[in-house]
Amino acid sequence: MRKLPVYLVLALAAIPVLFPVYYAFAGSVMVPGDLSPPALFPRSGIRPGNFGEVLEAVPLARQYANSAVQAGVITASQLLTSILAAYAFVYLRLPRFVFWGFLATLMVPVESIIIPNYLRISDWGLARGPGTYLGLVLPFLASAFGTFLLRQSFRQFPAELRDAAAMDGAGHLRFLFRILVPLSKPAIAAVGVYVFLSAWNQFLWPLLLVRDPSYQTLQIGVSQLNDAEAASPGLILAGVVLSLLPTLAIVIFGQRHIVRGLTAGAVK
Amino acid sequence: MSPLPRRSASGLGWAFILPSIVGFGLFIFWPLGQSVSLSLHGNDLFGRPSAYVGPLNFTEMFADPEFGQVLLVTLGFTVLSVVPAVVGALFVVLLLEARIRGVRFLRTVFALPFAFSVATASVVFAVIYNPAVGIANAALGSLGADRVDWLTDPSMALVSVAATTVWMNLGYNVLVLSAGVGSIPAEVVEAARLDGATGWKLARGVLIPLLSPQLFFLVVVSTIHALQSFGQIHILTKGGPNGQTTTLVYSIYEKAFAYGSSDFGGASARAIVLLLIVLACTAVQFGVLERRVHYR
Amino acid sequence: MKRRLLPLLLVLGLAAACTSTPKAQAPTDAPGADALANAKGETNVEFWHSMKGANATALEALTSTFNKEHAGKIKISPVYQGSYDETVTKYKAAVQQKNTPTLVMIYDIGTRFMVDSKQTVPMQSFVDADKFALDDLEPNIASYYKVGGKLQSMPFNSSTPLLYLNKEAFDRAGLDVTKPPRTLDEISEYARKLTVRDSSGKVTQYGFNAAIYGWFVEQLLATNAEEYCDQGNGRNGLATKVNFASPTGIKVAQWWADLVKSGNATNTGRKTDDAQAAFKSGTVAMHLESTSTLRGYLDAAKGKFTVATAPFPKVAKTSTGGPIIGGASLWINGVGHSAAEQRAAWEFTKWAVGATQQAQWHTGTGYVPVNRKAVIDAAPQFGTAVTQLHDLPPSVASAGCALGVMPQARKAAEDGLEAAITDTKNADEAMTDAAGTLKSPIDAYNRAVK
Repeated sequence: MRKLPVYLVLALAAIPVLFPVYYAFAGSVMVPGDLSPPALFPRSGIRPGNFGEVLEAVPLARQYANSAVQAGVITASQLLTSILAAYAFVYLRLPRFVFWGFLATLMVPVESIIIPNYLRISDWGLARGPGTYLGLVLPFLASAFGTFLLRQSFRQFPAELRDAAAMDGAGHLRFLFRILVPLSKPAIAAVGVYVFLSAWNQFLWPLLLVRDPSYQTLQIGVSQLNDAEAASPGLILAGVVLSLLPTLAIVIFGQRHIVRGLTAGAVK
Repeated sequence: MSPLPRRSASGLGWAFILPSIVGFGLFIFWPLGQSVSLSLHGNDLFGRPSAYVGPLNFTEMFADPEFGQVLLVTLGFTVLSVVPAVVGALFVVLLLEARIRGVRFLRTVFALPFAFSVATASVVFAVIYNPAVGIANAALGSLGADRVDWLTDPSMALVSVAATTVWMNLGYNVLVLSAGVGSIPAEVVEAARLDGATGWKLARGVLIPLLSPQLFFLVVVSTIHALQSFGQIHILTKGGPNGQTTTLVYSIYEKAFAYGSSDFGGASARAIVLLLIVLACTAVQFGVLERRVHYR
Repeated sequence: MKRRLLPLLLVLGLAAACTSTPKAQAPTDAPGADALANAKGETNVEFWHSMKGANATALEALTSTFNKEHAGKIKISPVYQGSYDETVTKYKAAVQQKNTPTLVMIYDIGTRFMVDSKQTVPMQSFVDADKFALDDLEPNIASYYKVGGKLQSMPFNSSTPLLYLNKEAFDRAGLDVTKPPRTLDEISEYARKLTVRDSSGKVTQYGFNAAIYGWFVEQLLATNAEEYCDQGNGRNGLATKVNFASPTGIKVAQWWADLVKSGNATNTGRKTDDAQAAFKSGTVAMHLESTSTLRGYLDAAKGKFTVATAPFPKVAKTSTGGPIIGGASLWINGVGHSAAEQRAAWEFTKWAVGATQQAQWHTGTGYVPVNRKAVIDAAPQFGTAVTQLHDLPPSVASAGCALGVMPQARKAAEDGLEAAITDTKNADEAMTDAAGTLKSPIDAYNRAVK
């Protein structure tokens, strides 16, 4: 078997990659005695109660919903603003500097402007109560990333497509939403997946902004478990597993669909 | 009906980009100006800008011996987290190309870490690295090796945090490079194989050059991500021990929000440095690297 | 074009950036009982705290009892805000946004900042308005929260540091757990005897461990009757420098570094959770921590080993001081809160320091009862802290340092300690450098409040 060494090397490489995944799942059902001192397997039985307890300790369910709303709104808004802007760049007349302005936004790291944004959103009273939802999404409603990607996609369509639509009496809006958007579904889905995942995984902004745990996002909720439940690694890992499920499902079952979204920027 | 006027509806053009422009103006360009302004002001008790102090925050920053260390740590973290993750993923993807069975399954295995966010990955590693009840030291102990102070030994902590980052990014890198391999026309590879190219020769002569756009993309994106890393440092080490994992972004956070400090002036001075470094990186990478990348 | 755009926007931003808040006038008057009596419906009191684990359970038990007794009139809503540090950060933001909680738990070292922030009604005003008898409060505790002779906040969860011991480890080493080490040198000596190595020379039980926690430096200096900062520990005026690079501070760093270097102590870093986990796992024989972890330790050690407590060690036999009261106190915010809210918060505060409540709080957590009349019926381990408190000689040193940037000072002490322990710098250099980094934050703070 000539391929044996290849399998061996791959198997060896897979151990460090898989171990943390395994340990997160195994630890999430371990009894305290198997976690301190730590054991490799749940040798003293399974303890699914960790899941119930962690849901009681922190409002994870609520934070799940918060994250879904936050990432969902950001995705929908970025898609809409990007579709409109991309259309304007391809089909409408705009001065050149607008293009450069859009490009410039891509080079500004969020962290370099986070303090002024924090001050502004706080001043607007969007760091408390239900207003927090708005504060969480407001700075991320538009993105040049999506605009450039969709611009690329729109440009691939021949000019005749639009002329034909115009002959049928379609104006810009109708052409865009009835013809162009349906034809660009793969590109739009790609942008959507990318934006959703980045929003879902956000860390610094919700950490700074949100004070009330019931408006907190899932990521911060899970990371705070690490402090609040430091004495019970089983609960921490149960929380991790719970918050992991949606993205894990995407990686296992939707792998092919996300690759396009992730690599979209790679194809110039 | 007459055809749509081509490239003439300037008013509509502005209308279409208006939402984006409002967003960028309010939350990118305006704050950029404010960052500059904040860096030139002192602060009251709550961090609000008080008197104009000129370049004081900058001179204090450059005089601070810890700032030099912050830059070094940032560089170290970037190299330690980008290089292994890209090289490792390339290695795995090339092995998967050795015409073996179960490629799809294996690719999924290596892509699994992608399901982890910075928060979930760091929390799992925090449990694994835990000095008292971590499985990492328990495993070393049962192998008869000495324990390692993963996150509290100054010479180890940065490596441990970078390792977490490498693990987290490996899945993404594998997915990107696999997609790149998938887009290489089968005839090209077959032709090379007919010419007798196998194994390392095939990889070096054909696959790696054809993957250069994806590799380039990964290096650019991971470097910029590494410069912006925050969550794993916050969760694992809070910048310690002795500032050995305090990167530029973490120092911004510390100055502005940690330990009851609200030195928004000093933090903004550091934010300006971060902005300049990221700009320089983008410029260098696009300018220098792009010319050497093989585009199809 | 692009060259012109960016600078333009930058200038626009610059012009817009300067806004500052007007200097506030601190509220001084406390509303009377009628404020609440006249209020319609239920008055809600948001209460920020930093309690977790067993201590959070105990706190919620208190608030829910109070809420039941005052159903329809007052509702206390406790909200966990993370660590004490995080609470201060969030409190600062809340002041900016004019939505502070009515009641907030702030750690001892935030006292100076809270007074300077001019948001709270001094507790003394409520005490005077109600002719509330302060005599029941432990005088040593109350003195920490008096600034300018007035009680600023109500001590609630007060702790002192303890030396925790693993009784079985002492027994195995042939040592008597009732004769614990009293000084740093004695700890080193005991640690050597209590460290167990296996046949290959690997340590299986450490003699000593504690988190690299600046609080311990503050405590040890106080046991040697040294003030932590100048201006009479910041009580006579704004402090201008810290004192932890004194010969005693350096000695502490050296002692700790030597312990770790000898292998008789382990270094689990700054996270108190990690040091606590090490002690709970039974692999550490002696350990420094606050009384507030006692309940958690007893629960975790059940069936594994016996937790014993001993007084916090002193720097040397000749040391004449004692530890400082740590923990936190309750502050009532006046700015932006109705008379009814303030009054409701006071009703809870007054109730929470009652003898019965404090006894319950003490046994549920390990915190020292702030009320002298609290009748304690708990495991003997709880008694050590109370005795230690009563034995405390009243002095400026053990009243603790009131410094605006005390949280940063604590962090700096940790920087120094850690540099020495990890052998990055020698102890002298480590502590001196660390103290030096505080000059600019202290100056900036003092400029800001003047």
